[in-house]
Amino acid sequence: MLNMPFMRLKKVDISYKLENASVKAVRSFSCDIEKGDIVGIVGESGSGKSTLALGIMRLLPPNALLSAEIMSFDGKNILNLNQDELRRIRWKEISIVFQKAMNALSPVHKIFTQMYDVITAHSSDIPKGRAYKMLTELFGKINLPSKVLNMYPHELSGGMMQRVMIAMSLIHNPKMIIFDEVTTALDVITQGQLLDEIKRLVKEFGLTAIIITHDIGVVNEVCNKVAVMYAGELLEYGRVKDVIFSPLHPYTKALVKSHPDLRIGNELIKGIPGSLPDLTYPSKGCIFYPRCDVRLDLCKDVKPKISVLGDHIVKCHRIQG
Amino acid sequence: MEVQTEVIVTRRKGKNIIKFWHNYRQSLYGLIGFVILLLFIVVAVFAPIISPYDPHAMKGEVLLSPSISHPMGTDHLGRDVFSRIVYGTRVSLSVGFIAAGLSAIIGIFIGSFSGYYGGIVDEIVDKIVDTFLMIPAFFLILIIVAIFGNSIFYIMLVIGLTTWPQNARLMRAQALSLRERTFIMVARATGESSIRILFTHIIPNGVYPVLANTALQMGGAILTEAALSFLGLGDPNLVSWGKMIYQARPYMTFAWWTVVFPGIFIVLAVVSFSFIGDGLQYAFNPKLSVKQKEVSA
Amino acid sequence: MSGFIRFIIRRTISIVPMVLLIVLINFFIIHLAPGNPAQIISGLEQPSREVIKALEHRYGLDKPLVVQLGIYFKNALKGDLGYSYIYSEPVIDLIKERIGATLLLTLTSAILAFVSGTFLAAWSSRYKKGILDSILSILSYVLYAMPSFWLALILILIFSSNLRWFPTAGMFNVRLSLHGFARFGDILYHLFLPVLTLTLIQIPVYFRVTRSSIFQVSRDEYILTMTAAGLERKKIFNKYVLKNAILPSVTIFGLTLGYAITGAALVEIVFAWPGMGRLMLDAVFKRDYNLLLGIYFVLAVCICIAILLTDIFYAILDPRIRYK
Ligand SMILES: Nc1ncnc2c1ncn2[C@@H]1O[C@H](COP(=O)(O)OP(=O)(O)OP(=O)(O)O)[C@@H](O)[C@H]1O
Ligand SMILES: [Mg+2]
Repeated sequence: MLNMPFMRLKKVDISYKLENASVKAVRSFSCDIEKGDIVGIVGESGSGKSTLALGIMRLLPPNALLSAEIMSFDGKNILNLNQDELRRIRWKEISIVFQKAMNALSPVHKIFTQMYDVITAHSSDIPKGRAYKMLTELFGKINLPSKVLNMYPHELSGGMMQRVMIAMSLIHNPKMIIFDEVTTALDVITQGQLLDEIKRLVKEFGLTAIIITHDIGVVNEVCNKVAVMYAGELLEYGRVKDVIFSPLHPYTKALVKSHPDLRIGNELIKGIPGSLPDLTYPSKGCIFYPRCDVRLDLCKDVKPKISVLGDHIVKCHRIQG
Repeated sequence: MEVQTEVIVTRRKGKNIIKFWHNYRQSLYGLIGFVILLLFIVVAVFAPIISPYDPHAMKGEVLLSPSISHPMGTDHLGRDVFSRIVYGTRVSLSVGFIAAGLSAIIGIFIGSFSGYYGGIVDEIVDKIVDTFLMIPAFFLILIIVAIFGNSIFYIMLVIGLTTWPQNARLMRAQALSLRERTFIMVARATGESSIRILFTHIIPNGVYPVLANTALQMGGAILTEAALSFLGLGDPNLVSWGKMIYQARPYMTFAWWTVVFPGIFIVLAVVSFSFIGDGLQYAFNPKLSVKQKEVSA
Repeated sequence: MSGFIRFIIRRTISIVPMVLLIVLINFFIIHLAPGNPAQIISGLEQPSREVIKALEHRYGLDKPLVVQLGIYFKNALKGDLGYSYIYSEPVIDLIKERIGATLLLTLTSAILAFVSGTFLAAWSSRYKKGILDSILSILSYVLYAMPSFWLALILILIFSSNLRWFPTAGMFNVRLSLHGFARFGDILYHLFLPVLTLTLIQIPVYFRVTRSSIFQVSRDEYILTMTAAGLERKKIFNKYVLKNAILPSVTIFGLTLGYAITGAALVEIVFAWPGMGRLMLDAVFKRDYNLLLGIYFVLAVCICIAILLTDIFYAILDPRIRYK
């Protein structure tokens, strides 16, 4: 696997089987991530961001179906790993901070117990005392007092819990971390603090990161690359300065316009009329066609190809590359 | 929007029944239970035709083991065990239906009133329900039957009067959540009387969990009657399965059939009601059925 | 810890109205029952005039109903439950002699049922949709539908009459006067079938609750976290799934105990176990209302205490509860 980027996803499809339908939550998603990248994935609720993250971790629920041409990470083919190999990769090389931190730890075990189990899952002979010291140090880096270790999850605030989960994701010094909407449930001030801390930690630990959010402002602040997702499809991918400041796809344009801090001049903040299409049906033409205000006749029935303009990728009939 | 759809839901009763049956069928247990119950009902209704002998006639030989002429043998007085079991079906089914039906009616009324009106009455009712749910009703039933008499009528009445709290609890929870729903608010705003709202909206829309529970309580009532009979507190004038076991106990060691068969029928009847309760839960709560399928998946 | 103590106090206070309600029910039954309340309390078929007078005075039966109720409360809470006419002894003394045997039976079986029900649920959850799971599930329906007394009779038929492995009746062999360890063994030997019966009828409750709770917990977020973190499946199941999944069974332990005591009363009668069941049967047959009501009261209080204890135990297991 020479010349492979750090992570390559090619034509990833994920669908959930329901009783008499199947939700195609991720559709033919392809992108490359280089070592040291901080990639933001933006998209509205239900666009398949968490599903993609779970797919990368191979943590999808049993009713989900994953297929892909390539899913590689650091020279390993993630698709072919068996349970035991997966277990060894998880957290050691790639870890994830989940969307709902409040429920992310067992309510009836102390934080330390759970942290210690995560430590010993990959390095068995660490005595408790040393683990405690190590965790205290780690907690210090993310502004958590060490007394938190002796507490139960319900005794912590949302922000503290999120910090605990971030600390937990760092335990084994992974190469990559996926942050799934870590700041969504928090107040603005805590959000800001946490983002700063994430930025600092990513640098300090030399991480590659995927930051999932529906706030394009967060991407602008923290990431160097951004992927715009819509109804399971990747619509635009590239450097933040390209995608956010000269967006090509009408959906990205609308997203940027609807953000109060990113709009240019005094344009009115506009929402995007309409809503996500029904994900149980395959889409024939452009997935964004029903809501697009610059659509062509062509867009209705013909799927747009991916246009590559240097390292800026976009999927729209109006752009030719 | 929401208002309209909800009103439509309450109006489309006919469609609901079809959908209900469609969902009910999804539960294999529910279906089996339903078939067993149908068989029991047939047996109860046609008892005189089905039973080969008079259940009280002491004609046959004493303690005959099962044979072709007496498929389940005879008891210590020479009565045909099978015929007695057939007649016992009547007692068990009527106790199940009437006692649990009474319990459902009381529970629905008390639960919906207390949940809908709330306030201090609701709190007191809740406390009483709590207590009744904690302390097994059987002892209370036993005492009342022992003191006030043990005709089948009393037995059914007392079981109904002591087991309603479960239903009240379920109904109350439904009323509490329903009264915050838009269509109830609209009804209230348009000046419908509280009683009318209770009877046309709250009860019809919230009664389903109570119905599922009632199926279980029917089984419970059958077990209670059997236990009372086993203690010698059954109706002296009727043949019941529990009483058969009670009377056969001294002869059990040399005539196992006198004890074993009535018990099997008790188990069958109670299991069929539990199965039906299962089916009803599926039918009223399709979400649950998806979940349960995953459990077995 | 002070939060915990406050929790215990709060829970203890909350059972008081329940005990009072039971006393109230008893009081009404006495007054609604056919016959004169004084006669019922005296426990005599035809008490003499003096006895009635004395009782009327003692229980305030010549006073207004509300005052009577107050006096009745006071007496009940002091443990004065009146006299049993069939034994001509205070009801409370009769109960004291026998309650130990009943509690031994009930608690042993309840704990065994809890443990084996949980174990079976954990075991069957590993073979979802397999034959084993279906068999256990149907078996749980059947056992749940089984009258305890009938199951007891069937077990006697099989293990005592046919196989002659176990004794049919009693708590110990009266012909041998055993001591120390031998006596203990003898009691265990007699305990076996009654406990087996009661355990079997309680298992379905714990089995079903734990089974569905294991299923639910397995889908909880923190299980996903632990899987993502690379913990071994076995460890996740044994440590995280199980501890969270048994919480609902713990909460129903107290309530199920009520069900177990009902079963115990009937099973005791079948096995001639010297507990409250026998006492109850005598009271029913000879219409000894006082004794009946006394048994009801004491059992109800026992169940309240059991529920209180399970609540406290639950609070130890689940840290969230202490702060609510
Ligand atoms: N376990 C599941 N079973 C069936 N469908 C699912 C499941 N999980 C997610 N979906 C569906 O897949 C689609 C994508 O969901 P996903 O959670 O990945 O979106 P998301 O972009 O993370 O949204 P959000 O911003 O709200 O977190 C949605 O339509 C959702 O309903
Ligand atoms: Mg998500």
